[in-house]
Amino acid sequence: MSLPRDLEALLLLVRWDLMRMWRRKIFVVMRVVWFAVQVTVFGLALSAMVRFRGVIAQGIDYYHFYLLGVYTSMLFSISVSNAYEVAEEFEEGIIEYHLSLPIKRSVLTVGRSIGGGLAAFLFTLPMYAMVLALMGGGPPLAVVASLGAALVFSVGVVGLVLSIVLSVKSGDATDILFGLIDAIIIRLSTVFYPSVVLARYAPYYYAALANPISHFVDFARTLFFFEEYRALALADPLLMISYLLGFAAGLVSAAIYVVERKLEGGGWR
Amino acid sequence: MGVAVKAVDFVKRFGSTVAVDGLNLEVYEGEIFGLLGPNGSGKSTTLLTIATVYKPTSGDIFVFGHSVSREGDEVRKHVGIAFQEPKAMWVDTPYELLLWHARVVGYSSSEAKVVVKEVMERLGLWEHRKKQFYQLSGGTRKKLEIAKVMIQRPKLAILDEPTAQVDVITKHALWDVVREMRSSGSTVIVATNDMFEAEKICERIAIMYKGKLRALGTVRELKDQIPGGDVVEISFEGSRELVEKVLGGLGGVSKHVVDDGRLVAYMNKGEEMAAEIVNALTGYGIKVKRIMVQEPTLDDVFFYFTGARLGEEQ
Repeated sequence: MSLPRDLEALLLLVRWDLMRMWRRKIFVVMRVVWFAVQVTVFGLALSAMVRFRGVIAQGIDYYHFYLLGVYTSMLFSISVSNAYEVAEEFEEGIIEYHLSLPIKRSVLTVGRSIGGGLAAFLFTLPMYAMVLALMGGGPPLAVVASLGAALVFSVGVVGLVLSIVLSVKSGDATDILFGLIDAIIIRLSTVFYPSVVLARYAPYYYAALANPISHFVDFARTLFFFEEYRALALADPLLMISYLLGFAAGLVSAAIYVVERKLEGGGWR
Repeated sequence: MGVAVKAVDFVKRFGSTVAVDGLNLEVYEGEIFGLLGPNGSGKSTTLLTIATVYKPTSGDIFVFGHSVSREGDEVRKHVGIAFQEPKAMWVDTPYELLLWHARVVGYSSSEAKVVVKEVMERLGLWEHRKKQFYQLSGGTRKKLEIAKVMIQRPKLAILDEPTAQVDVITKHALWDVVREMRSSGSTVIVATNDMFEAEKICERIAIMYKGKLRALGTVRELKDQIPGGDVVEISFEGSRELVEKVLGGLGGVSKHVVDDGRLVAYMNKGEEMAAEIVNALTGYGIKVKRIMVQEPTLDDVFFYFTGARLGEEQ
């Protein structure tokens, strides 16, 4: 029995992004090695400093907090780096080629969002395994749920990336915008600072509250260290995962709107 | 004969630049149709709009009755395009790229392998299958684009300058491929700025210049639209005055020059008229020694309709 045409096309678009990632395997290995250095050398040093200064309350291990934070920042950065690849594809005319294929625009967008998200997810999977090992493992349910949430999160980020890159149609604007997004959004979140600390600064706190990165990282922390972090988490786990699902669905829908209604070839600056 | 493509008052603007201005034309099913014009004449914009890559600013284009503005999904089911600039990332290998393309256009995994190998061998691409795109020559890259359309076998094949920057041998091979596409049931639209190519492979030609359609028809029809475009040269033995008299009595000759034993006459439909002139001359006892009919080149046609020489416009 053959798959329905749209589903088959969607899977082929996912494959497109995975093939693209596979070609960059050397780059993946380099990033994983750098990540290993970051979570061992710098991560342990940072946690020791935090313990020494007593920033975090007793009974809470900042290293655990940091590990999932740094994984999240990596997942976000890798998902955002799709922007530069989509920009390159536009310059090389690949977007025009894709627009000419016998594929529905909605399928094209969803396929590229899932493909880009899945590629970022697989890229960071060795990093996730490293974090898991450094945390001393975790309940299987927590592992599965956090991985699922990671995939949803990265698909949402790629949806955002597609909407913006395909709207601005400019290599320079893409570089500036996504450099800023990558730098600022991570910092306006609970990736490295718990919400209780951020709560002292209202604008910072509300920015973190609206930030999907905070919801993903705190959801993952709650899954692994419920007792330890429930007082620090941004919200109830169900609310956080709902927020993430809404984020992904919303941004992929926005990307579909851009591709169906606005996007056409040419005009790249 | 059915209509494959129908452009109705099609306009495409990019900002303040008008790329195509009020295009109206029909491409018939099963023909090889040429869009002839220099760079910037609106050929590629028209083709990319037919392939739904661009959206019309106003007007519309219908492909087998489906609007590119409103029924893009339906249009794309019937259209395959070989872009002017080959589309691939520098690390792509031809085999991987074509295999993926074959799957997207509807082949199963096993069918895709067979058809890709077949097409690559047909185009002489098989030996390059594992090279990366940046290692391929310009001609090989062009063939890769054509291979996508050959694999797809669409009802409407669009080839945007398929032989630009390729050597003569490859050019002839690609012309054969274009004819094969038509023979296998595709309607083919070829954009070109090569007069010889247009004349060689296209059954009907649309001349575009500065975004507007300037002329449309078969090569013969276009040539015949040039007043006095054909030149008939006759060498004869006999009285010059008599020849003048005979020519004066014939209609359809725009201009003629007679000197010692040689008549040069300008007219339309030169081949038919030449026979008439010869009959008239021999009827008056003038001996005709040699006849030569020259028709205008497509370059002359382009000049006549646009006021520009194609070579100067590139």
